[in-house]
Amino acid sequence: MTTLGPGANAAVGSGNLRVEVVYTPIPGVDLDVSAFALAATGKVRSDNDMCFYGQPSVLGGAVQLLDSAAGRAAFSINLANLDASIEKIALTATLYENKASFDRVSSLSVSVSGGIEAQIPTAGMKETALILGEFYLRQGQWKFRCVAQGFAGGLAPLATHFGVDVAAPAPSAAPAPAPAPAPVATPAPPPAPKPSVSLSKVTLDKTRTSISLEKSAGGFGEIRVNLNWNKGKAGFFGRGKSIDLDVGCLYELQDGEKGCVQALGNAFGALNHEPFVQLMGDDRTGAVAGGEWLHINGSQWNRIRRILVYAFIYEGAPNWRETDGVVTIFVPGQAEIEVRLNEEGGSLGCCAIALLENDNGSVKVTRRVDFHRSQKPMDEAYRWGMNWGRGSK
Amino acid sequence: MAVSLSKGGNVSLSKEAPGLTEIVVGLGWDARVTDGTEFDLDASVFVVGENGKVLNDAGFIFYNNKKSADGAIEHLGDNRSGQGDGDDEQVNVKLTSLPQDVKKLVFAVTIHDAEARKQSFGQVSNAYIRVVNKADGKELARYDLSEDASTETAMIFGELYRNNEEFKFKAIGQGFAGGLKPLAEAHGVSIG
Repeated sequence: MTTLGPGANAAVGSGNLRVEVVYTPIPGVDLDVSAFALAATGKVRSDNDMCFYGQPSVLGGAVQLLDSAAGRAAFSINLANLDASIEKIALTATLYENKASFDRVSSLSVSVSGGIEAQIPTAGMKETALILGEFYLRQGQWKFRCVAQGFAGGLAPLATHFGVDVAAPAPSAAPAPAPAPAPVATPAPPPAPKPSVSLSKVTLDKTRTSISLEKSAGGFGEIRVNLNWNKGKAGFFGRGKSIDLDVGCLYELQDGEKGCVQALGNAFGALNHEPFVQLMGDDRTGAVAGGEWLHINGSQWNRIRRILVYAFIYEGAPNWRETDGVVTIFVPGQAEIEVRLNEEGGSLGCCAIALLENDNGSVKVTRRVDFHRSQKPMDEAYRWGMNWGRGSK
Repeated sequence: MAVSLSKGGNVSLSKEAPGLTEIVVGLGWDARVTDGTEFDLDASVFVVGENGKVLNDAGFIFYNNKKSADGAIEHLGDNRSGQGDGDDEQVNVKLTSLPQDVKKLVFAVTIHDAEARKQSFGQVSNAYIRVVNKADGKELARYDLSEDASTETAMIFGELYRNNEEFKFKAIGQGFAGGLKPLAEAHGVSIG
């Protein structure tokens, strides 16, 4: 075991590294761990080189955020599969929305496969974003250095430092100043907006259960709902518990049409005609970094009355806490909305996660997280009113 | 060919640069980019006699005493942040002008206020100290502080010493706990 203090470095292996960050969580404050793959300039080549909760697999899977829960985060870094232009990978930790500084995280350590451990001394630290350490190429050899320095301003200056374009926080309602009359010749077209990474997210939990997204002129674009969960961990003798978690939804359109979209029964839906909701494939293992996706055609939002997003355990014993399931709702131009399925659910296999309602044209998202024996009693609880039979896939 | 030193390594200037008359000791590092106190690295020289102690307190060349009485050693100034390219601090030494009772020059590098600032060389980006032959700009020895002295806060870089009528340079690369004050005291400087 090699223990590194701030500034110290050690050589790492050349293949697949597993990197774990373990810390004492602060109640009510998310600690997010991210990795930035950097070129010789010390900057990312593009925003695609930042691996974080909004983008858990980058560089064709060579850098992946495998696992993130209160108190720990794990990454895999496959050095052999890294593009040759990547010379450094900075590992960072940030406290979401700068709600606290790192002196409140009483322990924080990084371990790298091969027996390297770095303790980050957090006493007295006023920063809310830290560069924990960096993997770097020196004379053909990858090394890890413990850095333990950062920014009091949090993730935004940190990401900017590494060359990532950070989206401005939620746009204010201030009216744009009226353009002065310009008698000059054809003005240059405004530059195309540069894609940038939005760092904001909204977590719906017991204290904050709903959010309303105001309607915009062009509808909502494509609303994407993602379900991601941990596959059962393999036991000591290799007999892993396999859990197949499926996402689906009940929908009700303005014209009274009702139904469900889910893999079971092959009810995949459609985006461009009714029900304007489509299930994009099925991840049976939970090992695919992307998880399962449900897309909603937001430009047709005016034709939708309500949508109940749910998850159900198709195979395996229902143990919701162990699935570590996270449902994230992405609406273009809006902060992502996150709902975690970490509450007790007993032995009930179906979980109503979030209700999306058309509230005079806006999208009202309400966190539910209540558990039902199956879709049918859930349907009854929400007074949806459909006929249910048995299905399989 | 510059010699990149590791701890305890050594290099003979009589081999590297025959007829050497003037050297520049350069210290470089990058400005701090994260929040917090700047990195301030300092180069110092102890001018010592036969017994390994400074001949007098003026024989401690550092940011507050930039020039030796005879003008043979001159510290070109203190850079407090490491901004700019190339060497951030330089000390010129005219070997041929050194008085005969000077037997040895000890070169050291320290991080100013390292303990309070919780800084070590490894946290400073691209920190190095090097010896250059003034006549042709050739680098004679270098120590990569960020990499090889990463956990140190003060280090004796090397010693230039008389060997009969010759000067030789011995790389030391030895960390020294506690910073500039105990380092100076160890070389016989009275610190007020």
